[in-house]
Amino acid sequence: MIEATDSSKRHGAYSGISATDAATPATEPPPATPVVAVRALSKRYGNVGAVEDLTFSLDPGTVTGFLGPNGAGKSTTLRLLLGLAEPTTGEAHVFGRRYRDLDDPARRVGAVLESNDFHPARSGRNHLRALALAAQIPSARVEEVLEIVELAGAADRRVKTYSLGMQQRLGLAGALLGDPELLVLDEPANGLDPAGVHWLRTFIRRFADHGGTVLISSHVLAEVAQTVDQVVIIDHGRLLAAARLDELTGRGETLEDIYLELTTRDAS
Amino acid sequence: MTAVLRAELLKQRSTRTNLGLFATMLGLVLLAVLLHGFGLPAKNLDSAASQLKLLAPGEIIGTLLAALLGAMSITGEIRHGTIRPTLLVSPGRIRVITAKVWASMLAGAGFGLAAGAVAAGVSRAALQARDITIHLDLGDYVLPLLGSTAAAALWAAIGVGVGAIVRNQVATLVGLCAWLLFVENLLLGDLANLTVGRFLPGAAAAAISGQKPDPPLLAPAVALVLLALYAVATATAGSVATNRRDVA
Repeated sequence: MIEATDSSKRHGAYSGISATDAATPATEPPPATPVVAVRALSKRYGNVGAVEDLTFSLDPGTVTGFLGPNGAGKSTTLRLLLGLAEPTTGEAHVFGRRYRDLDDPARRVGAVLESNDFHPARSGRNHLRALALAAQIPSARVEEVLEIVELAGAADRRVKTYSLGMQQRLGLAGALLGDPELLVLDEPANGLDPAGVHWLRTFIRRFADHGGTVLISSHVLAEVAQTVDQVVIIDHGRLLAAARLDELTGRGETLEDIYLELTTRDAS
Repeated sequence: MTAVLRAELLKQRSTRTNLGLFATMLGLVLLAVLLHGFGLPAKNLDSAASQLKLLAPGEIIGTLLAALLGAMSITGEIRHGTIRPTLLVSPGRIRVITAKVWASMLAGAGFGLAAGAVAAGVSRAALQARDITIHLDLGDYVLPLLGSTAAAALWAAIGVGVGAIVRNQVATLVGLCAWLLFVENLLLGDLANLTVGRFLPGAAAAAISGQKPDPPLLAPAVALVLLALYAVATATAGSVATNRRDVA
């Protein structure tokens, strides 16, 4: 289930909350704490608003596409969510708390924000070992995640010798170190060849099937449409829609049709 | 804290950056001491004081390279983007900067000790090669060696702090080189005569290792306390800056 509030209701047909709330039986127990809860979140840099009054939340076991044009505020929102930037107003919580306040964040949340956040002269294995040491994760887990992302054979090579696809997978390995419940991935398919994209899609589905929650920022709509259960669409830092994918496309429109309609309307 | 420190120590030794800095330092110390040891007239090297001056390059170069090492430990993370995964697994930013300070101080101490030892060994060899009577016994090398070690360790902490404040790697490294090699020596040279220059961090590092230029520097113990205060102040400012700023 995905929840969005008033700002998305402005867009009527594409607001997920009214549909999902109506479908909730009255006898159902109160929902658990959302995995992600973004409430009235704003971030301003001087006079420029990067994120404006953004509200949405994600429940466990869902794969959510976080969509929007370049400069829409997706990456800023993810940084706010992960404690790398401070909101101007509002809040962004994971598992009911600010990311910085989580007791053991690496075991709750795994994130990849850039495809090349590595020291080029450090080996893939040492990159992961340093993260594992800091998070107090046993070194055996480093070998496990290297196997999961199929990089065991290249683990002792310096990262600068890796292809972009290998770097994406190394980033994912770092995110998986703590066996987290939530994965936050910013443009994870960038630079992947078709086989890599297929591998990533399969991996994400398997992760969600085991109860994990995934938030994927992307503007590759065709890929997103094959991977996610629901979408949050933003532009100019504002929420345009938050709904299940099947609700959005139920009238025969494609995700691309709806995305273009929303973002074009917002731009005008 | 221990876990983050162990991670920082692994980062220090898992690239060739620090090895390159160490080799550069040894080469520069060797060159500087050889130039002085063989270039100065014998009559300028016939006293204990003049022979102690041959050790100065060890302190100066060891301190500079240790400061660069400390600065690179944080600016390298920012430059390569590894600051993001670092702060995602360790969101406590002050703890991360503190771990970098300790890891850099440890490596910096090694740099200072090695630079001092090379300067001592090469200067003795140069004097012996020129048949100049050596007026220093082994006990005379204790203060320069310990002083170089302490000065380099504390300047490594200053490097972390400055790097955390400035963030841009090139600007930080150029700034540290300029300060230690030029600003204190040239622009502020006159201040030494006014007794103000003695209190600057580069002069304090020289004083710790027992250098005795004219006009004189602070007593080693006083200089050690002063440089430690500089290190604490800079590292604290770097921690606060890192804690308050957004990470791009």
